[in-house]
Amino acid sequence: MTSPARNSRNKKEKRILLWMALPAFAVYASLYLYPALSNLLYATQKWDGITKPEFTGLRNITYLLTQDDLFRKALGNNLRFMLVVVIFQTAFALLFATFLLKNSKTNIFLRIVFFFPTILSSVSVGIIWTFLYDPSYGSITAFLKAIGLGSHAPLWLGNESITLYSIALTQVWFHTGQMIVIYVAGLQQIPKELYEAAEVDGASRWQQFKGITWPMALPTTAVVVAYTTIQTFRAFDLIFAMTGGGPSYASEILVTQIYNTAFISQKFGYASAQSIVLVVLVLFITWLQRKTLRVNDGAK
Amino acid sequence: MKTKGLSTFASLRAGVVALVATALVITPLAVAHAADAPTFGKACTTEGVSTGQKTTSLICQTGANGKLTWQRVRLGSTNAQPVANLTPPKGSIEFHHWRSEDKVVLQGIIDDFQAKYPGTKITQVITDSTNYQNLELSKVSVNPKAALVTIFRGQQFTDFSKANMMVDLSNERFVKQNVIQSALTPGILNGKVYAVPYQSLFNNPIYNTEMFAKNGWKTPSNWTELLGFCKTAKAKGIIPFAWPAATKGNAGQIMNAMMMNSDSSIAAITQHVNDIQAGKELVTDAWFKGIATKYAQMNTAGCFPDNVVAYSDVAAQADFAAGKAAIYPTGTFGMGPIKALNPAMAGKMGIFGMIVVDSKPVFEGITNNTFMFSINPKASSTDQKLARSFMSYLLTSQVAQKYAVGTSQHVSVINVDYAENVDLLNTSVIMGKKLVLAPRFLFTNGAVATPVELALMAIGSGKDVATVLADTAKQIKTALGV
Repeated sequence: MTSPARNSRNKKEKRILLWMALPAFAVYASLYLYPALSNLLYATQKWDGITKPEFTGLRNITYLLTQDDLFRKALGNNLRFMLVVVIFQTAFALLFATFLLKNSKTNIFLRIVFFFPTILSSVSVGIIWTFLYDPSYGSITAFLKAIGLGSHAPLWLGNESITLYSIALTQVWFHTGQMIVIYVAGLQQIPKELYEAAEVDGASRWQQFKGITWPMALPTTAVVVAYTTIQTFRAFDLIFAMTGGGPSYASEILVTQIYNTAFISQKFGYASAQSIVLVVLVLFITWLQRKTLRVNDGAK
Repeated sequence: MKTKGLSTFASLRAGVVALVATALVITPLAVAHAADAPTFGKACTTEGVSTGQKTTSLICQTGANGKLTWQRVRLGSTNAQPVANLTPPKGSIEFHHWRSEDKVVLQGIIDDFQAKYPGTKITQVITDSTNYQNLELSKVSVNPKAALVTIFRGQQFTDFSKANMMVDLSNERFVKQNVIQSALTPGILNGKVYAVPYQSLFNNPIYNTEMFAKNGWKTPSNWTELLGFCKTAKAKGIIPFAWPAATKGNAGQIMNAMMMNSDSSIAAITQHVNDIQAGKELVTDAWFKGIATKYAQMNTAGCFPDNVVAYSDVAAQADFAAGKAAIYPTGTFGMGPIKALNPAMAGKMGIFGMIVVDSKPVFEGITNNTFMFSINPKASSTDQKLARSFMSYLLTSQVAQKYAVGTSQHVSVINVDYAENVDLLNTSVIMGKKLVLAPRFLFTNGAVATPVELALMAIGSGKDVATVLADTAKQIKTALGV
């Protein structure tokens, strides 16, 4: 039995705690909750951002899912972009992290070097890589010309079939360093005894990786993959700076399309419907990835 | 009496003719030293050379008899009696615009204004043009300190007017008397002036005069000549048109030329655009298909650089500045950056109207007024007064001249002398032509304008006309259905 005095003190403490949470909740509610709920409302309206909105029910969503070929194209582009970036960014990050695991001076220096692109603004990265890819003045083309492969130099940002992958390469370069740091932190938590035991048993480095590093790094991988996935769905600034979604919508992804729908076509209601589909999609993919990684983890 | 009267009149007429003839020779001579360029002399031998843009200025042009003669610059102003700027109240305002390249020159003008009127403060707030077009209305509507706001012609002007976000400036004397009246058109709605265009852009091809002279080339004056020129220049290893197909916006500039003579009048062209935007006409129909086909023909004739699909505006300017390209086809606003890349290009740039028909053209060139000043009605009355005063200051001839010369832009202000900037003088020729306001901006619905522009970029880059237009028609149908 608790005394009435203690009960009263507990209630008082709870009230104080609630008051302390209020500023954070106010910020969250005004900057996230309210816009998110407003977005749901806008998705049911036809609105140009200036004149009075007109209620249209679920028409925006149904039209989007049944009639809009460009949205499907952007969605397909986004999924391909995500797949390429997630696979290569995760693979490179894990590979480099395994080599940079020890806290030697060289490794720390290299981690900083690899992390460096992450601190640049994405628009700057986009502009730099646009110059590198330029068919007339770009360093990549110049290098290919210098080694006699000039005639094979592709139009990195001009050829519709490779533009998206060229941007994906930039994205991988941009964020691999960040994922290396996450992986290094995760891999350093693996007990050294496991590797020592494996060495005593005569396991090769590959066997050690397969049997110890990979399964033990799965929780970190889940974080890296989920984070990279979200990054690929919000790679707006990079694509905007490099191609604007072109040529012929070849590099248009969902966020660039939402921007165009809202601010160029001035269809704010329809853009809200597109953004709802985007959020649902990201949630679903992230859930699927985590489920897959956990299943594998359980199987081991 | 009658005979004597006639004789007296005849003598008087002869005297006036002699006086005018003398003035015609003397006036260009008087400013010839200032231009300091070989193309500017006492005789009218080079088309396009002008003495400035004053009411008394002259321009060397082909007359009705086919010979070059000095003619009055067409100001289009009916009441050219400029007034001084308004006196400002003390205070501070924001001046919103998108031209980062003009920042230094504008800051110099602001500094002069603030020194002349202590207690005033004007702060430039610059956003890149794409975001400016898309976000500025939202920003300004919640920022009353943004008292002086520049607005793009077309969709942004329409949006600002829908939102009642511009003050009526019709009765301001500095608007009625300091601005070339014909240039005000894009800022007028229902007979009232809501925005005052500052720059007069000429979105016509700029060509390398030295290269043309060296090779004995003439600027093409019709479609057949244009395609022929492309083949000739290409055969010499020179890029005929440095068309930046990878840079949306600037790639769209030649669309103006393609549109301007695409039908018998601007009214007919406007009708086509309106019908496409209303879904009544398709881009696969004859009118737009005709325009698109010309892009394909230019591509086939070798007018554009190799790898044009990935050819950016940066590369286009670099190639033109380096003498690798004969023509930079976007407009006069490219002259400043080109000179920055290669100062030796100063005085070597000319302009011509891109005629893409073989019949007599309806229009001979393009003009545009995108940089328009407006006052934010949500600003306080004091801030509005300060904004008006600074706007009137910008619209005085001395200040406008400083801006024009410093930024290599023609302006829509009367009595501006371009003598200090030889390239502005050399490209003034276009002012004497029959110009039309850039017709690509007739597409005011972004959901239609974007796919239309992208389609033309793709076709100019070598894609099949029918396939691209069919896809584009489908995209427009989808966009209009939302």
